[in-house]
Amino acid sequence: MCDSSDLDRQIEQLKRCEIIKEGEVKALCAKAREILVEESNVQRVDSPVTVCGDIHGQFYDLKELFKVGGDVPETNYLFMGDFVDRGFYSVETFLLLLALKVRYPDRITLIRGNHESRQITQVYGFYDECLRKYGSITVWRYCTEIFDYLSLSAIIDGKIFCVHGGLSPSIQTLDQIRVIDRKQEVPHDGPMCDLLWSDPEDTQGWGVSPRGAGYLFGSDVVAQCGNVAAILELNEHLQRDFTILKQHLRRPGGYPQRNRRQITSCNMKLVDYFICYA
Amino acid sequence: MGDEPVMATNDDASDCKRGAVQLGYWSDDYISYFVKHVERRAPEINRGYYARVKGIENFIQKFINKAGSSAQILNFGSGFDTLYWKLKDEGIQISNYVEIDFPSVTARKCYMIKRNKQLLERIHDQDGEVKLSATDLHAGNYHCIGVDIRNIHQLEDKLYQAEVNFNRPTLFIAECVLVYIENECVNRLLSWISSKFKSGLFVNYEMCNMNDTFGDVMLGNLKARGCTLAGIAHCKNLDTQKARFINNGWLGSSAWDMVQVYYAISPSERHRIEKIEFLDEQELLIQLFQHYCICIGWLSTEFSEFSCTDI
Repeated sequence: MCDSSDLDRQIEQLKRCEIIKEGEVKALCAKAREILVEESNVQRVDSPVTVCGDIHGQFYDLKELFKVGGDVPETNYLFMGDFVDRGFYSVETFLLLLALKVRYPDRITLIRGNHESRQITQVYGFYDECLRKYGSITVWRYCTEIFDYLSLSAIIDGKIFCVHGGLSPSIQTLDQIRVIDRKQEVPHDGPMCDLLWSDPEDTQGWGVSPRGAGYLFGSDVVAQCGNVAAILELNEHLQRDFTILKQHLRRPGGYPQRNRRQITSCNMKLVDYFICYA
Repeated sequence: MGDEPVMATNDDASDCKRGAVQLGYWSDDYISYFVKHVERRAPEINRGYYARVKGIENFIQKFINKAGSSAQILNFGSGFDTLYWKLKDEGIQISNYVEIDFPSVTARKCYMIKRNKQLLERIHDQDGEVKLSATDLHAGNYHCIGVDIRNIHQLEDKLYQAEVNFNRPTLFIAECVLVYIENECVNRLLSWISSKFKSGLFVNYEMCNMNDTFGDVMLGNLKARGCTLAGIAHCKNLDTQKARFINNGWLGSSAWDMVQVYYAISPSERHRIEKIEFLDEQELLIQLFQHYCICIGWLSTEFSEFSCTDI
C-alpha cells in the first residue's frame, strides 16, 4: 500500500506523461478498488462540477483540459468514461485519473465507458499499449479488473443524470440501475450493456443499433419520464455546444402518450437533464 | 517502384478475409487452405470486407442467372480468391473460369492447389488431366494463369491457352486491381476487352471519392508500403469510375458507393453480422464505405439492368 507522499510522487510522474512501475500500478489499483467498491451505480455528485467526455488516451488533451478547467482538487470533475483506446497514452491517462481518484476521492468521479472492457481494449489499442510499455499484459489485467468497479452513471444534484452511452428499454427507474451487479465485464446485452452502448438518435422510440450493442433511442423515450436529454459537445476550439434533443409527439397536456402503468413506473422524471457521451 | 508491394496487397486482403470468415461474417470453406495466418482486425475492417464480398457476390449471381451455363468468368488479380471452389460446391455450372495474376502470385496459388487434396479434387474432372507449370494450372474448366495484364499480347496468348471463348458471355472481376495500374494500360485493357468480347459484364471494386483528407491519408499509407496508386485518377468519384468504361468502348456503366451497397444488404443479414463484433464508431465505418465503390460496365444490353438491390 502506498502512502500519500508516494502517491503524490506518482501523480507528478504521470503528469509528465511517464509511466509508473508495475508494482506501483498494482498497489494503486488495490487502493482504487477499495474506494470504487463503495460507490453507487448512480453515483451522487454535487455541483459545481466540470463534466468531461471521452479522453481516449489523448494525454495531452487531458493536460489541456486541466489547464482550462483547473486542477484537481480545486475543480470538481466528472469523467464520463472512455479513458483508454485509440490514443497513444491510454496507460498514462487512465493511471493519472485513477491516482487522482485515490488521492482526492471526493473531487473526481470516474464512470465507465464502453471502452473500459476487456473485449474492446483488445481491439482498439489499450491491450497492445500495455504490452508495448510494460512488456507483459499484467498492467492491462490490473486495469481491466478496476474497470469492473467503475460506477455506471452519475447524478448531479439529484437532477442531471449522466451516463456514457444512454438509456435502456429494460430500465425505467434509477433504482433499477442501482440494483445492477456491475462488478463484471460489460455484458453483450441487457441494462448494463445498454447504459454504456446506447445512442440518442433523431428518431422516435427504440431502434436497433448499428453498433451491435445497446439501442438507438428517440427523444420521446427520454420525454416519457418528463426528462430532457442533452448532449454537450466541445469542439477543437473549445467552443461549447449544448444540444437539447427536441421533444416530439407531445400531447396538448404536455406529456407524451402513455398508459397509467408507465406513469407509475417512471421515477426517472426526477431528473431534469440527461447527458450522454456517445 | 517494383510490383512486389502490389502483390503483397493480396496477402493482406487474404489475411483480412480469413479473419472475417473465422469470426463468422460469411462462410468460405477454402480460404484456410491459402491463408494460415489469422490476425485480428478492427470491426470496421471486417464489416468493410463483408460488404465487399457480399456486393461482388450479388453481381456474380445476377450475371450467372442471366448468362446460364455458358457463362465464363475472368478474375483479374484473383490472388487467393476461392470463388471457383464456392461455385463448384453450390453446383453452379459455368463454361470456363480463369484466374489471372502476377506469375509470382499464381505460382504460389498453383503450388497450394497442388498440395491440397481438397482444392485439387474440386478442379479435377473425373478423367480430365491437370496441366501444371510453375505459374499456370489448367484443369477442366479451371485455369490459373500468371501474366502481367499490362501486356495485352501476353494476356491474349494466355487466354487462348486457358481456352477462353471470346463469343461467350463473360464476367470480368477486378477487386482493387486497376487502381495500381497506369491509366493508359487500364484503358488499353478495357478497350481490348470491349473490342474482343461479344458480350459481358465487368465488376470493379475499388476506391472512390478520393479527393479529400481520407484519400490523402490512404495514399500516404499505401505509399509508405511502396504502393503508388497509378490509376487513382479514375477513383475521383463515381462518375470518373463510370467514364472509364464508356470511354473505352463499353455500352454502359453504373456505380454505387459502399454505403449504398451495405444498406442494400437485407436487414436481417445486416443485423446478424452487426452482432458479431461491436462497432465503436459508426461514423468511421460510413467514412470507409464512402471511399469504396462497385462500378459495373456492360458490353451488351442483356447485362444493362443489373442493380445493387436486395443483396
